Amino acid sequence: MVSPLCWGCLTLLRQAPRTILPSPTAVSQAAAFHTSAAIYARVPAPRGRDSAVGYRRSTSANIKKKRKVSERARPPPVGERKALRKRIVLSNPNALEVEGMPELSEETMVDSRLRGTVVGLPVPMLDQLRAVQAFKPKQGWSIFRRPGTVLRRETLEMGRLFENISGEGEDRGVVIKRIISGQRKSGKSVHLLQAMAMGFIKKWVVFTVPEAGELVSATNSYAPLSDENPHLYVQNEATAALLSRTAAANKAVLSKLRVSQHHPTLSAAKPGMTLEDLAKIGVQDPASAWTVFQALWLELTSTSAVPGLEKNFTPRPPILVTVDGLAHWMTHSKYRSAQFEPIHAHDLVFVRHFLSLLKPGQDKPTLPNGGALLYATSTTTNPPSVYSFDVALKQVAARHAGVDPSSPEFPQPEAYSKTDPRVFEALSSPKPTAAKEGMLEHQVLGGVTRDEARGFLEYFARSGLLRETINDELVGEKWTLAGGGVIGELERLGRRVRVAA
Amino acid sequence: MGWQSANSMVHALQSIRSPRHLRALLSRRSTNSAHTNTGASLSTHIQTWNDARGYATQVQPAAPEINFEKFQALPARIIPTSPAYFSGSPKFIDHSLRLEGILAKYASLPTVPAREAPRMAWFRLPQFREFVGEPIPTKKYKGLLRILQRLNRIDPAITPREVRDTLNDFLRPGNPYDIKLAPRTLDELGRARGKGKRKASHAVVHLVEGEGEVLINGKSLTEAFPRVHDRESATWALRCSSRLDKYNVWARVKGGGTTGQAEAITLALARALLVHEPALKPILRRAGVITVDPRRVERKKPGRKKARKMPTWVKR
Repeated sequence: MVSPLCWGCLTLLRQAPRTILPSPTAVSQAAAFHTSAAIYARVPAPRGRDSAVGYRRSTSANIKKKRKVSERARPPPVGERKALRKRIVLSNPNALEVEGMPELSEETMVDSRLRGTVVGLPVPMLDQLRAVQAFKPKQGWSIFRRPGTVLRRETLEMGRLFENISGEGEDRGVVIKRIISGQRKSGKSVHLLQAMAMGFIKKWVVFTVPEAGELVSATNSYAPLSDENPHLYVQNEATAALLSRTAAANKAVLSKLRVSQHHPTLSAAKPGMTLEDLAKIGVQDPASAWTVFQALWLELTSTSAVPGLEKNFTPRPPILVTVDGLAHWMTHSKYRSAQFEPIHAHDLVFVRHFLSLLKPGQDKPTLPNGGALLYATSTTTNPPSVYSFDVALKQVAARHAGVDPSSPEFPQPEAYSKTDPRVFEALSSPKPTAAKEGMLEHQVLGGVTRDEARGFLEYFARSGLLRETINDELVGEKWTLAGGGVIGELERLGRRVRVAA
Repeated sequence: MGWQSANSMVHALQSIRSPRHLRALLSRRSTNSAHTNTGASLSTHIQTWNDARGYATQVQPAAPEINFEKFQALPARIIPTSPAYFSGSPKFIDHSLRLEGILAKYASLPTVPAREAPRMAWFRLPQFREFVGEPIPTKKYKGLLRILQRLNRIDPAITPREVRDTLNDFLRPGNPYDIKLAPRTLDELGRARGKGKRKASHAVVHLVEGEGEVLINGKSLTEAFPRVHDRESATWALRCSSRLDKYNVWARVKGGGTTGQAEAITLALARALLVHEPALKPILRRAGVITVDPRRVERKKPGRKKARKMPTWVKR
C-alpha cells in the first residue's frame, strides 16, 4: 500500500486540524454565527507589554506618528565640509596630455603669435600661486591634465606692460592702476591670476587679497587701531594672513632684500635682516601684524636707504597688488563700533591702505619702484549692489577718457538717489603729477574673439573633452551661445558631454 | 406618411433649428442636383417639396401629402424618390452615391499630387450636418471627404465641368483661401521683424545680417538666459539652418517665465528669418519652429485645488 505521506517534502506531517468533528472543549457552547469551524479562528495573542494600553492612552490607529530615530548618522568633523568645498584640484590624470603645449614664460607672455593658444602655468610656480590663493574652486582646473590659461588680447597687452615696467626702456618703473569689471564668468579672476603669474615670472613682489569680502563680513577679529585713532580699526589676523601669503609666495625675492630703513615703532625689525624674516615676525605675532605690514611696505616702496644702512640696500622690485571683489569694500562692513553703529569699510585700515593706493602719490608715485594695481570686481562671491560704486566706475572711465568733471557729459548720480560720498571720494583719482604714474582706469572684460575661442575649444578637443570636429561652424555656434565669447560660458559648453539621443 | 416615423420627426425638427441662410443655399443646390434623380415617379412632387423647404420657420414633413386625385392611375405601391428614403440619412447617402458614381466615371483621369491640387475649403462637419439636415457621424463624413479629395486631385487642366460643379456644392460659403497676405519685406535698414508667442510671453525679434550677436532686452544671451538649454532653444531657428553666424538678433520679450520667453523668441526669430530667406520654410518646419504651440495654463476649477487636483479625501 502506498503511504499517504510524500516522503520528499513531508508536508503532510503537519496535518490540518480536523474540522469534521470539533472537539467539544475547543468550541464554545454558544450558537456559532459563522458556518466555518471555530477552530479556524485566530487565537488571540497574549497581551504583552507592547499591546498593553495604558491609562488615558490613545487607542486609535497610529499611522502617521513615526518612531523617533535614535541612531543618527554622525555629521562629518568640523571643517571637513568647508575643506571639501574649498578644495582646489589642479590636475586630472584622466585628461589627455596636450602635445606641444607652450608654457607661460618671459617670451610667451608677450608673443602675439600665440594669441588664442592655451599656455600652461609653470609647475614650480603652482606652489606660489596656491600660496597667494590665485586659484578659485569653480574655475574648472580639475578637468585638465595641468593648469593652463588662454592668451587673450587683454593678457598679451598686460604682458607687454609688465615687460616694459621691468625692462630698461623709458617705461621702467611705471605704475598702472586698473579696476577690472565685466559680466559673470568673463574671466576677471583668471585675469588676475595671469597677472600674478607674470609678476612671479618677472620677480615682482605680489600682494593679493583673494577674497575682499572676507575682510568686511565680520569673520575676522578687529580692534581700534590706537587711542589716537578710535575710529579706525585694524584686523590683525587678516593682516597676518596677508603677510603669510606674501612671505610664502615671494620667498625667493624677499629673502634677498634686507631692512634698510628705520622702524622706530617696531623694535623687532633689526637692520640687515631679510624682508622675509620681517614678514614672518608679523605672522608669528599677529598683534604686531599691522605694524610689520607697514614696515614691509615702507621697505618695498623705498628708493634708497637711510644714511648708515646703505650696505643693506638693493634696488626694490616692482609690486603687484591684486584685489578680487572690490564692491564689498564700497559699503558698510558687518562690523560694529562700540556704540553699535556700523563701521564703514573704509574705516578698516587694511581696506583704507589698499584703496589709498588708487590715489596719486603726493610728491612721488604710490609705487616708486613701479608696479601694477589690479582691482577686480567679482560676481561669484555675492557682492553687494552699490549704486555709488557703479556711478563712480563710470566717472573713472570718463575721467580717463579726458572728460572734464565739471562738464555736463561727466556721469553724475541720479538726483535724489542715495549715494555714498566716501565711495566717490575713494575713486576720484585726478590725473597724477608724477610722470611715471598712470591714471586710474576702468577696464571692462568682455568676450573673447572667435579666433581666441577657436584656440580655446581646440584645447578642449586635444584634452579629450570635446569630441567634435572644431570647424568655423562649431566655433561660431559656441561663441554665440556663450553670449559673444564669454570665456566661462565657453568652458561650460566645452566640457558638456554630448550624449547621442 | 412622414409623420408616422420617428426618424422623419427628427428631420423635421432639425430643419426648424437650421439657420435660414443655409436653408436657402441648400434649396438652390438641391434643385440643381434634382436633375440627376430621374425616373422616379414622384419627381414633380419632390420639386415642389424642395422649394417649400426654403422656409426654415415652417415645420416641414419629410414629404408632402400625396394627392391621390391627381393620379391618372393609382399605382400598386407608392415608391419614394430616393431609394435611401427609409434609411436614417437618405440625403447623405444620396450625396455619397452620387460622388461615388462620379468617381467611378472619371477614375481613369490623371491625377496630381495632393499638395499641387487646388486648396478647397470643404464644409466642416457641423456645417455639413446643417446642409443635409441629418445627423451624420464623423467617420462617415470623413469617408465622404476622402472621395471629395480624390476627385479634387484630378489634374486641374482636364477636370470635367461636372466634377468641378459637384465639388463646388461642398464648399463653404466664401473662399477662405482666396485671401492673400502681402509678403513681408525688409525695411529700409535691412531689418526683418517677427513676432512670436508662447505661454504668457510674447517676443518681437529684429533680424539683420551680421556676425551672430544676440541682444535680448538689452542684455547678452548669457545674461538673459543663464540656462544653456534656453539659449539653444532661443537660437534654434538659426542653428538648424546653419545661419547662426550670419545674422544679428535684437529681441524684445516680455511676460511669462524663462522657458516661455526663450520659446517665444524661437518663434519670432523663425518668422523674421523667413522674411530674409523664404526658401528656408521647409527646413524650419522640420526643425519645429514654424508650428505654434497654442497651449496656455489650464484654468483652476471650483472644488479643486488646481486645474485637476482634487482636495485630499477626509473621512468625515
